[in-house]
Amino acid sequence: MPPSAAVSPSLDIENLMVTVAEGSGRRITILDVPALSVAPGERLGIAGPSGAGKTTLLHVLAGLLPGSGRLAWGAVELSALPEVARDRWRRDNVGFVFQDFALVPELSVLANILLPISFDHWRVPAHLRARAIELATEMALPETSRRALLLSRGEQQRVAVARALLCCPRLILADEPTASLDADSGAAVIDLLIGGARKTGATLIAVSHDARFLARLDRVVHMEQGGLITASTNDDGERP
Amino acid sequence: MNPWPIILADLRSLRWIAWAVPLVVAIAVAIGIAVSAQDQALRTASARAADDFDLVIGAPGSQTQLVLTTVYLQPDAIGLADGALLNRLANDKRVAAAAPIAFGDVVHGYPVVGTTTSFVSRWGRLQPAEGRTFAAENEAVIGASVALQLGATVTPSHGMAHHGSLGAEDTEEYAHRHEEAQYRIVGRLPRQNSPWDWAILVPIESVWEIHGLGNGHAVDEAPLGPPFDAKTVPGVPAILVKPKSVADAYVLRGEYRKNGTMALFPAEVLVAIYQTLGDVKLAMVVVSGFNNALVLVATVALLLTMVGLRQRRYAVLRALGAPRRYVLLAVWLGTAGLLTAGCVLGLGLSLLASWVAGSVIEARTGLHLAVTLGWSELAFFALIILCGSGMALIPALFVYRRPVSPNLRSSA
Repeated sequence: MPPSAAVSPSLDIENLMVTVAEGSGRRITILDVPALSVAPGERLGIAGPSGAGKTTLLHVLAGLLPGSGRLAWGAVELSALPEVARDRWRRDNVGFVFQDFALVPELSVLANILLPISFDHWRVPAHLRARAIELATEMALPETSRRALLLSRGEQQRVAVARALLCCPRLILADEPTASLDADSGAAVIDLLIGGARKTGATLIAVSHDARFLARLDRVVHMEQGGLITASTNDDGERP
Repeated sequence: MNPWPIILADLRSLRWIAWAVPLVVAIAVAIGIAVSAQDQALRTASARAADDFDLVIGAPGSQTQLVLTTVYLQPDAIGLADGALLNRLANDKRVAAAAPIAFGDVVHGYPVVGTTTSFVSRWGRLQPAEGRTFAAENEAVIGASVALQLGATVTPSHGMAHHGSLGAEDTEEYAHRHEEAQYRIVGRLPRQNSPWDWAILVPIESVWEIHGLGNGHAVDEAPLGPPFDAKTVPGVPAILVKPKSVADAYVLRGEYRKNGTMALFPAEVLVAIYQTLGDVKLAMVVVSGFNNALVLVATVALLLTMVGLRQRRYAVLRALGAPRRYVLLAVWLGTAGLLTAGCVLGLGLSLLASWVAGSVIEARTGLHLAVTLGWSELAFFALIILCGSGMALIPALFVYRRPVSPNLRSSA
C-alpha cells in the first residue's frame, strides 16, 4: 500500500531552555535555544561536537524531555501538553531512528517493524502488516521471520528505519543514524531516510556528524555548549 | 494495547533464568502445600483406620503403644490382659460385642493376628470379598493387600520383633517357623485402606495353641470363638469392645481403667498424637512460609536486576510512543507470569510429592493416604500467587517511574 503524503505542520521553538541539577543542587543549563523554526517537510541537520546538546534538543523535540519555553507543532503547543498527550502525539506523528538501532533482538524483523502498533492495538491491522512487509521489501529485508539479533548492522538499521516509517510519521527524528555503520550501509540508510521522508512529506530532523548526510539536508544548525551557533543552508540540498 | 511481544522478548532474553525462577518458586511452594496436604491426609487415614476400634482394653502400660499395636499393627511387646475378661465382657449387657486380638507371628512378612470371626467381619459390617471367613483352627482369612492365593497353605513363624520384607519369607523367618502349624487361606477381606489390609487373620485359639497355651476352651474340640473357659483362657494383648451406646462406652472405659486393666478410646490417643503433629505441622508451615517469602523476595530482586539491565529497552519503547502503562504492564505481566507459573508448577509438584510420600507411608504402615487439596492448601496457593503478583509490581513500578531521556542515552 503506498503511504499517504500528509502535510507536516511547522515546528517552532521559542526561548527553549533545559536545566538539570548538579550534585551540589545547583542547576545548570544544558540547552538554550532562543528561536528555531523548522518548515513543513524541511530536512534539518543538527551538527556540533559531543556534549553540545544535539541529542537533548532531539529529545525535547520528541516530547521526551520537558523544558521551559515554547515548543509548538503547528497549532499544537507541545510544551503545554501533559505527558500522556505527548506520548499520544509522538505515537501519531513521530518516527524515531537511533544510532544503535534500538531493536528488540529477540523479536523477528517483522515483529520489530510492527512493534509500535502494539502500543495501540491488540491485533495488527491487515493493512499495517501489509505495509510492514512492503517496507521490509523496500529495505531489502526479505527474511522477515529472522530474528533481529542475527542481522548485520546495516540490516538492523534498515529495520529501524522501516519501523520509523511504518505509520507514515509527519516528523522523523534520527540520532546519528549512520554513526554505527560502514560507508556503504550508511549511504543506504541515508537514501532510505531521505527517500522515506520525501515520499510521505515528513519533516526530517537528524543529528549527525556524517558530512555526506548533512550535505544532503536542506539546512544544518550547529550547536555548541547547549546553544545554536550558526545555521547554514545547503544550496545543493535535496528539495522535496 | 498488546504488551505480549515485549513480554515474550523479555522472557527470551532471560534465557535459563526464565526456567530457573519458576522451578525455584515451584519447589518452595510445593514444600508448603505438600506439608499441609500430607498432614491432613495422614489424619484422615489414621482416623478412618480406627473406625472399628471403639474401645480397647489391655494391660496397663503405654496407651499410645496399645493403639499403635492394635489399630496400626506396629509390632511391639505389650503386656497381657487377663483372658477371663473375655467372658465378663461377653456377659456384660453394655457390650454389643467383644473380641480378643493376639499378635506375634508372621507369614512372609505379613503379621498374623489371632481373633474371632466377630471382629474379622468388623462386628458384621464386612463380608469377605472372596471365599469365606475361617471356620477351623487351621484356616485363615487374608487382608486385601496380602499377596497370597486362596487355597494356599502357609506356615507361621515366630517373629514379633522381626520386620521381614512383605511377600517373601526370608531366612530369619524360615528359621523361626512353627513347623507343626499350618494355615489354609479360605477368604480375602475387602480393602479397608488400613494396616489390616496386610494382616493374616486366624482363629485366636490357633495362636494360643501354637504357643503352648491351650485353646482357651475347656475341651479340645470346642467350637471357635466365645465363650471361652475362664479358668484356662490365656492372657491377651488386647480386647476390642463394641459398646452398645456412647454412654456405655464411657462407663466401660472408666470401669476398666482400674484393677489391673487399661481401657481407652483410640480417638483420645489420636487426638494427643494429632496435637503433637499439629505443633510440628505449624512449625513446618511457619518455616515453609518464611522459605516462600525468602524465595519470592530473592526472585523479585533478581528480576529487578534484570529489568534494571533492560532500562534502555523500555526507554526506547517510550521514545517510540509507548505510554508508561504499556511498559508497566509488560514488566508486571512478565514478572507475575514467571511467579505464577512457578506456583502452578509447585501445586503439581506438591501433588506429586504427596503421592510419593503417601506411597512410602503406605508401604511402611499400610495406611492409604488419599491426598487431596483442601481449602487451606488452595488458600495458601492463592495467597502465594497474590503476594507474588503484588511483589511483581516492584520492578514494574521501578521502570514506570524512570525518566526516558537519561535511559535513552545509557548503554544498558
